[in-house]
Amino acid sequence: MLPIELYAGIESAWCPGCGNFVLLKAFKQALGELEIRPQGILVVSGIGQSAKFPHYLQCNTFNGIHGRALPVGTGARLANPDLKVVCATGDGDCYGEGGNHLLAAIRRNVDMTVVVHNNQVYALTKGQASPTTGQGVKTTLQPQGVPYPPLAALALAVSLGCSWVARGSATAPEHLKELYKQAITHRGLALLEVLQPCVTFNRVNTYQWYKERAYRVTETPDYDPENELWAYRKAKEWGERIPIGVIYRHSRPILEETHPALAAGPLVRQQPKRPLNQLLADFF
Amino acid sequence: MSIDLNILIGGAAGQGVHSITLPLAKALMRQGCWVLTSQSYQSRIRGGHLFNQVRLSDRRLVSSREGVDLLLALNQETVTMHQGELSPRGFIIYDAAEVKEVPASVPSLGLSPESLLPGAKERAEIAVNAGACGAVLGLLQAPLDSMLALLQESFGDKGAEVVEWNVQAATKGYEAGAAQKYGLSLSGISPPPEPRLLISGHEAMALGALGGGLQFISGYPMTPWTSLFNAIAQRSGRYNVLVEQAEDEIAAINLAIGASYTGARSLTGTSGGGFCLMTEGLGLASMTETPLVIVNSMRPGPSTGLPTRTSQGDLAFVLYASQDDSPRAVLAPGTPAQGYALAAKALNLADRYQLPVFLLTDQYFADTQFTHLPGEFPEVEVDRALAGGPGSGTYERYAYTENGISPRRLPGFGPELVVADSDEHTPDGHLTEDLQVRIKMHDKRLRKLKTMVQELGGITTSGDPAAPLTLVCWGSSQGPVQEAVERLQAGGTPARMVHLSELWPLPAGAVTAALEGTKKLVVAEMNANGQLNRLLRQETGLQADHLVLKYDGAPFTPEYILRELSNVA
Ligand SMILES: Cc1ncc(C[n+]2csc(CCOP(=O)(O)OP(=O)(O)O)c2C)c(N)n1
Ligand SMILES: [Mg+2]
Repeated sequence: MLPIELYAGIESAWCPGCGNFVLLKAFKQALGELEIRPQGILVVSGIGQSAKFPHYLQCNTFNGIHGRALPVGTGARLANPDLKVVCATGDGDCYGEGGNHLLAAIRRNVDMTVVVHNNQVYALTKGQASPTTGQGVKTTLQPQGVPYPPLAALALAVSLGCSWVARGSATAPEHLKELYKQAITHRGLALLEVLQPCVTFNRVNTYQWYKERAYRVTETPDYDPENELWAYRKAKEWGERIPIGVIYRHSRPILEETHPALAAGPLVRQQPKRPLNQLLADFF
Repeated sequence: MSIDLNILIGGAAGQGVHSITLPLAKALMRQGCWVLTSQSYQSRIRGGHLFNQVRLSDRRLVSSREGVDLLLALNQETVTMHQGELSPRGFIIYDAAEVKEVPASVPSLGLSPESLLPGAKERAEIAVNAGACGAVLGLLQAPLDSMLALLQESFGDKGAEVVEWNVQAATKGYEAGAAQKYGLSLSGISPPPEPRLLISGHEAMALGALGGGLQFISGYPMTPWTSLFNAIAQRSGRYNVLVEQAEDEIAAINLAIGASYTGARSLTGTSGGGFCLMTEGLGLASMTETPLVIVNSMRPGPSTGLPTRTSQGDLAFVLYASQDDSPRAVLAPGTPAQGYALAAKALNLADRYQLPVFLLTDQYFADTQFTHLPGEFPEVEVDRALAGGPGSGTYERYAYTENGISPRRLPGFGPELVVADSDEHTPDGHLTEDLQVRIKMHDKRLRKLKTMVQELGGITTSGDPAAPLTLVCWGSSQGPVQEAVERLQAGGTPARMVHLSELWPLPAGAVTAALEGTKKLVVAEMNANGQLNRLLRQETGLQADHLVLKYDGAPFTPEYILRELSNVA
């Protein structure tokens, strides 16, 4: 167990009471309990309030651009599989701007954790609808209310064969910490969506709103996370009751195993100088 | 003796135009000719019209040219389309099963598949392809042995029977060709003392990238970039290069940025439209100071444009793409050997200056094969330019330095944490809104260009160094311009070429010096507005008296340049 002070980052610019603080603390605790040193982890993010996450930690950091954390994380992980890679993304970042990369990352099954801070809103840009905003919710850009239903991203992930799919909630910090630990130790792509209250721009989906609805999916009598059809039904559940916990998990080869270039160890530890005569023979 | 023969091989896509071109060109090269091949094709898989040219000479060739001496027609359309280009020593060799009409005024030889290789219909293609190669060699009185050896090399793995069919058809074709009268003979040419190499621009760049230590490549298919992606992917297993086909060009550049951040030598590439998608990633690499090589293989645009044609229309785009002033370098090779050297140099520059480095190519450069000597591909240096030794504990990824270059360390290699950010950031990599820091950090990034330009040059000259007439060009226009200058000189007009391959940051002092004494400045490039000319004016104050431009999608030829010059002179 490593002390969580080891992971202290710069001062945060999040609003007082932001759900992100719960995620930050739970994540640090998870790292400490897993005894992952700051040097051994890379947190990649895009743009959004959620994307500031790695700055508030001690870790290797790549804070890239909106929607593109997943390809950066994938490239980083392929070049150096000795690093634990976690992508800290938002609902807009991951499901909106970066949607295509989510599909590809799930198919690739890179050994990487993708955390979606789902506050059901674009917080950094001050409150527009995100792909997970509820139907009918009014925003500055949707004064008549969002006309279409929210994206069931976890059901999408199950249908794509994502090797680990779970939901956590800022209203259940201990449980969230355990999910972080499982996600990080899972071999393959782990998608962890976290219910994250936004105290400034989301007056609908509050701490109270989540608390009333979130229930432990492991406690359902028919809990069967290795069963794709069961998982799909659970992943679609949203409204009066929202399941939290591991919804789907199964084992699939990871991308790192299929790339022959990695058989000789991480690319970044290989010697890239090649004999000229061999190269010339190869081209002529 | 001076030999200069142009062979045009045409047919529908799928008919085997390429299967004739390569063995024929190689056989002629091994026989002692200098060979240059070029391709012209449409954006379709079957049908349409495509043609390749094989130009051969007893002297080094740097360009394709106009005029057809031997027309090798696999279909009627080839004859119809190209008979007007035939020179006074024009000769047509054609597939007699496909071509029904040849002009009576031109000597010709029809090859019937059935007489070359009797039997099954499936063999007709082999018969025509190998037979045509043989017929050309016979016609030119060149020995057949190097062709037979090549057929063995290319078809050996398909079994003895297939080799035998090819040899039989080539021999029959050879006899038919040798029975013809033709005014030019290669019998005086003998095999070179050291082997020569036939290599295209993109193949040479793949060679340079692999020699230069490339470890990671990501991309999304798009013509003409794909041929470079292929050339590396097909050899990746032998050199431990990790190849990832991305879901789109946005992912391609971000994958490469991620791999490079952790320390793999990385390259991504695309063509114009795909580069539109990469521009935000370009800014990201500039801002995070992540080394990255980006290939943009240009084609005519805007938008989808002419997918399989050639262009130099993206120079302005790659110079200015992305937000604000974001540092990058731009290189554009003119020959395969230069492509080799610049691919390796791009990797080193990217690492040394921690920024994106462009390699600008195009369809003509990508596909055109030059004859080179092995010595023209010398050993290249691999300079990772990483900070060595133990760190001081708190590491500043973006430390302010005089030359703008901050010592670079890799994540996971020591006690230091590597913090990179696309937001404006403090030296330790964390985001900031301190406007004084912003100025200092922006200046630091831009200082790298001032440092880098000191090691750039990339100027190739030819012709009379004191000539008042100077033709300036860049990238793949080198060959046609160089030959145009040669022809001007031979005709008594003093002229010189100044070719630029290192375009940004432009080594303005060296360029100005190279243009010294110019009375008439001509800039020749393959776009409609003279993008290099604008860059020259911006950076040196010099500008063209005349522009020679071409943007129809077909490459420059020496003849076109000379015609344009005679219009303005
Ligand atoms: C290419 C691009 N488009 C738009 C933006 C503006 N932008 C920044 S963050 C954001 C939405 C963020 O939403 P989310 O990912 O849910 O993060 P949150 O702030 O809610 O945590 C947008 C639209 C941007 N930075 N880049
Ligand atoms: Mg959000």
